[in-house]
Amino acid sequence: MSDHNDVHLEPTPGERFSKFLKRGDIRETLAWATFYTAVFVVLGAYFYPKWMPTVMSTDMKAIERLMVVFTFISAPVCGFVMSIFTQTLRHRHKGDTPPPDGPAIRNNRLATSVFAGVSSLLCLTAIVYGLIELNSSAEAATKDAPNALVVEVTGNQWVWSFNYPSLGVESNVLNLPIDRPVIFQITSADVNHSFWPVQLGVKADANHLATTLAQTTPIKLGTIDVKCAELCGLYHAYMETSGEVMTVSDFNNWVTAQGGHSA
Amino acid sequence: MTNTKRAASAILSTLLGIAVVGTVGITLHTLSADPSGKLIATKEADTITVDGKNYPKASVTMGVYPDSATAVKNGSKPTKEDYVQYGPSNHVVLPAHTYVTMTLHVYDSGEKLNNPYFGKVVGTIGGTINIDGVDVSSVAPDAVQHTFTLHGLPTSSQDPLFVNVPLPHVEVNDKDEFIPTKDPGTNNEGHTVVFSFITGGKGEYVFNCEYPCGDGTYAKFGAAMSAYGYMSGKVTVA
Repeated sequence: MSDHNDVHLEPTPGERFSKFLKRGDIRETLAWATFYTAVFVVLGAYFYPKWMPTVMSTDMKAIERLMVVFTFISAPVCGFVMSIFTQTLRHRHKGDTPPPDGPAIRNNRLATSVFAGVSSLLCLTAIVYGLIELNSSAEAATKDAPNALVVEVTGNQWVWSFNYPSLGVESNVLNLPIDRPVIFQITSADVNHSFWPVQLGVKADANHLATTLAQTTPIKLGTIDVKCAELCGLYHAYMETSGEVMTVSDFNNWVTAQGGHSA
Repeated sequence: MTNTKRAASAILSTLLGIAVVGTVGITLHTLSADPSGKLIATKEADTITVDGKNYPKASVTMGVYPDSATAVKNGSKPTKEDYVQYGPSNHVVLPAHTYVTMTLHVYDSGEKLNNPYFGKVVGTIGGTINIDGVDVSSVAPDAVQHTFTLHGLPTSSQDPLFVNVPLPHVEVNDKDEFIPTKDPGTNNEGHTVVFSFITGGKGEYVFNCEYPCGDGTYAKFGAAMSAYGYMSGKVTVA
């Protein structure tokens, strides 16, 4: 015999979630997560661009934007992990007899679903945004190709050399005119190297018997650091040179001084 | 475990870690030290004016030796008898802001450069070198035995310094056309290459050969090209 007043109603998912959020430890965890997320957002928006190398090309600009957006996307993940870490430290057990473990989170369908769903969404956003940036770079390379300055880059143990075939110039420094697209045709005369003009946001393999293409447009005057990003032997650490993004007139003067001719 | 034991374990582990890292560091530093002593450029009494600026002068003489017999006679201490090497030292010390004249006696044969760029003279006074009394601005890429290529890190703390000198190979036919340099100890025949360049401020640089003169490994950059004290070295501008 039953009485309808005795029926025990199961709480709805909404009620359970509301109750979950009212727990003191959960509120603390969320507060820490919000704090850490805000810290990472500020780092990404303000400090991170200052720590990166000077933006001197269209590609470096795209890379900086990409890194900032990716920092924003990963900020909640880092915030949540740091929050759990902080709470673990704050509420760590003291003494020799640890309490029994709590219920395994893998049995909580809601928690695992939220975790998997949010992670997938963040990864998907990062992939789509990355592909859009990659495609815009490829489109720019195609559009700019007819006007581009071609520079043949050769890696040798442990010196870079640059040939400007249209100008009749060979050099050990990488000088470029501002606002003109440049196509790097990159190869190696010996072992594998990696051509990395840091401020231009280009990093491409320099492999023996193969030519790798990379393209960008310098947009700011200044010094370029050219490094090798592939461990290539005894003096790999010394395989660096410099270069400069110059005004067009300065570049032409440099070409003339090197015995070359204008394109 | 008591707190005292925990603290003692932590301190002991830290000290052990420091000892291991320190030992590895000291060992690597010892192994990378100069195999031979420093070769210090000789300062000269007179000065020279270049582009309206007066510089003190200094000179240094080195050689490129294809075998240990010639190298040893010239003060080198090769441990690999079949390695070609610069000598008598692979650590050259040059004075800062000085007009340096370098003389290289070169005794080796050769084949062809991987990159013809290194057949050109770069960074010397006048863009030339003097080979057996004749000024040239390049050497054919298939007539090179080795190169003296001096470079360094482009940092804000030191001036840029880049010098590339192609060294002509020694072939049997050369004896009909040149009066080759003779090594006083071994009678080996070769060329004498003389060139000058101006050093900047103090700094640490390296030199290496851009001719693939190692063994067949690593695109002929193995053996002598991949070992300290043979076809590469340090240049300290002090």
